Amino acid sequence: MPSAFATNMRFKFSILAIFLEVLIIVLFGIFVRYENNQPIKKDKLLLYPFFQDVHVMIFVGFGFLMTFLKKYGFSSVGINMLIAALGLQWGTLMQGFWHMKEQKINIGIESMINADFSTATVLISFGAVLGKTSPVQMLIMTILEITIFSCNEHLVVNVLRATDTGASMTIHAFGAYFGLAAARVLYRPGLKEGHKNEESAYHSDMFAMIGTLFLWLFWPSFNSAIAHPDLQQRAIINTYFSMAACTLTAFALSSLVEHRGKLDMVHIQNATLAGGVAVGSCADMSIYPFGAMLIGSIAGVISVIGFKFLTPFFSSKLKIHDTCGVHNLHGLPGLLGGLASIIAAVAHVKWRETDSPSAPMQAAALGCTIGIALVGGAFAGLVLNLPFLGQAPDENCYDDSVYWEVPAEERQPAGQFGDAGDHRTVNINV
Amino acid sequence: MVSPGMGLAHILLLSIWRQAFQDVNVLVIFGFGFLLAFTKRYGFSSTGFNLLIAALGVQWAMLVEGFLFSSAAEKVKISLHSVLKASISVTAVLISAGALLGKANPIQLIWMAMVEVAAFSTSRWINVKFLKVEEHTSLMHVHIFGTYFGLAVSWWLYHSSLSERVEKEKSNPISDLFSMLGTLFLWMFWPSFNSVLIVDLMEKRNAICNTYYAIAVSAVAAFALSSLSSRNGKIRMIHIHHAALAGGVALGFSAPIIPHPCIAMILGLLASMVAVLGSHCLQTYLNSVLKIHDTCGVHYTFGLPGLLGAIVHVILFIIIKRASLSSLGYLALIEVGSFMLTTAIGLGTGFITGFILTFKLWKTLPASKYFDDQAFWEFPHLAYGF
Repeated sequence: MPSAFATNMRFKFSILAIFLEVLIIVLFGIFVRYENNQPIKKDKLLLYPFFQDVHVMIFVGFGFLMTFLKKYGFSSVGINMLIAALGLQWGTLMQGFWHMKEQKINIGIESMINADFSTATVLISFGAVLGKTSPVQMLIMTILEITIFSCNEHLVVNVLRATDTGASMTIHAFGAYFGLAAARVLYRPGLKEGHKNEESAYHSDMFAMIGTLFLWLFWPSFNSAIAHPDLQQRAIINTYFSMAACTLTAFALSSLVEHRGKLDMVHIQNATLAGGVAVGSCADMSIYPFGAMLIGSIAGVISVIGFKFLTPFFSSKLKIHDTCGVHNLHGLPGLLGGLASIIAAVAHVKWRETDSPSAPMQAAALGCTIGIALVGGAFAGLVLNLPFLGQAPDENCYDDSVYWEVPAEERQPAGQFGDAGDHRTVNINV
Repeated sequence: MVSPGMGLAHILLLSIWRQAFQDVNVLVIFGFGFLLAFTKRYGFSSTGFNLLIAALGVQWAMLVEGFLFSSAAEKVKISLHSVLKASISVTAVLISAGALLGKANPIQLIWMAMVEVAAFSTSRWINVKFLKVEEHTSLMHVHIFGTYFGLAVSWWLYHSSLSERVEKEKSNPISDLFSMLGTLFLWMFWPSFNSVLIVDLMEKRNAICNTYYAIAVSAVAAFALSSLSSRNGKIRMIHIHHAALAGGVALGFSAPIIPHPCIAMILGLLASMVAVLGSHCLQTYLNSVLKIHDTCGVHYTFGLPGLLGAIVHVILFIIIKRASLSSLGYLALIEVGSFMLTTAIGLGTGFITGFILTFKLWKTLPASKYFDDQAFWEFPHLAYGF
């Protein structure tokens, strides 16, 4: 048994996690304090409902969206929670370091929203490598990615002064391309022909639909949470219509590209959300509902086409295996959102009352986000390739029982849920 | 709460309240309902009976609280605030129902809900009236009260066949995922639960942020400790379901007064440790000796972290007030006394209620029918495995 596949992570994982946790607590003790000096404003607390919605998206939405694999539900939801819980603490610190006052990071409801946002990038990248990584690797990736993300975000928002309210570029495109680059480095030639566990079952698709619906419901809050208070309503409305239009085109295209016109659950679970991603950058601009619906419709179309044609091409030719298809849900629509914001800037769409965003800066933001994401992702992939991080061997990929204590399944009558004759793969413990 | 003339501010505050009310409702109905749905043949009852006793309990709690706390013999006045307090009181019943999960029939649960709500309100009334405990703190006693009430009842419903986990009591991957859905909703809305009764805006903000960071630390620690405590380094879902919530429970009392997120995070870490340790020690040693069967592990999810939170609250109270008060020792004693009293009332009334629930009158379930939906529910078709 090669030592690279020592999947017993009793000490590696727990010691690393506790160490990171203690480190974060110490850093919090040194640097973080509550915004305390002035009497608290009520409109700050009014952000709390937005925060709560974003919170639901991160933990239930992203978590359950990834439960579509038939034997990987525990890891999808569980590791999603682990990443997000660790990431939000680290994100508070990393984003705070760029905005220190008197050597202290001041936190409030707004920093909680931003911290939740920063974890979204890692969750998107997690989708690309889903099933092929260990929890130890994900801890490391969380720390690396959030560090790089917050630098890029600072560059885009504060240096280039580009607008990216719903974070199409800084979160969605960044997370997707980071994940793809990491997936390229972590490519497993042994899985070229696919894997018997890399498919969904009826009930796992239903669980994934829970995630989709929660993401869909709360996306307007996601795109408007950090918008200027005067522009929040506009951001909500634009996102709402974009999502609605996108859902329609996603259903239509899914039926069009499949044989005999049947709908594909993968498209419904993912492509229906692309509209929310794509409208993010322009959400608080005066693009009118028709503009939002146009962006949403295009996003639905490219997302379904991506799932149908691009993902197989990536997997076979470019050696990038993207488990959840994050490129189609977050990457391409994120790019589209960036392009839309450039077009809006060129067309002098009104943003904050009078001014419109500057087109060169939007383009620069898009370019540097993609560039940093690709380089950062490749670097993270190299680090994660270290042989002692508890990776599972190829034949045990997409299987919870490598890292989780999984209760035995009852024998099901053949044909029910379509995975009869179920034998768990033998666990390898060294 | 808000002085008159602050029209806009009042509306803003009301919208925060309405939102928080909604959050607590989701937490109580959806979160607890699905948290309990982890046994493989008891999903209908877990979510269904949870809804039943929550709906019943809220109405009854409104009445009992109204009678106890309103001064004159006029009509009981209700508001969003009193509904909110009633929902939080009902949490005690849901926690107790977690300890009894699968062993009690709906009639027993309904009687338990009626008695427990009345007992908790009375205990809270004593705390507020005589010990002068703050309203927020007195309501956060629900975790301790619910746990010890439930454990005492559970002692009466013990059957020797429960000493080992029977097949029906185990989970399967699907029921574990449903339970995770409940856990996540409890986890996400815990900052609302801990901050909803606080009026001062600064304290409210601190309570939200403290709980947010503490419960995040508890989640990470739950994963780490779960892996550390199993021989082959595998994570156990049950630890994630329970230990991840411990931080929120422990922070209930002191969330608004902790001045620094770092302290809250340490408390979250400790609570998670207590919960994971508790799940190993209590289930194997204490419960089998005392003949208590705690299906959902409420003792280490809510009970022990709740006690930890209460003790930390007393310590923080002493540190914060140490300069300003002369009668510090007396006040600290009152604080200790209040949660001891709550525990004692919980155990006592639970003991009596448990005794009453064993009467044949309630058509108690035989042990062979434990953890089985089929005793109470009509099935659309005969589900496999039954």
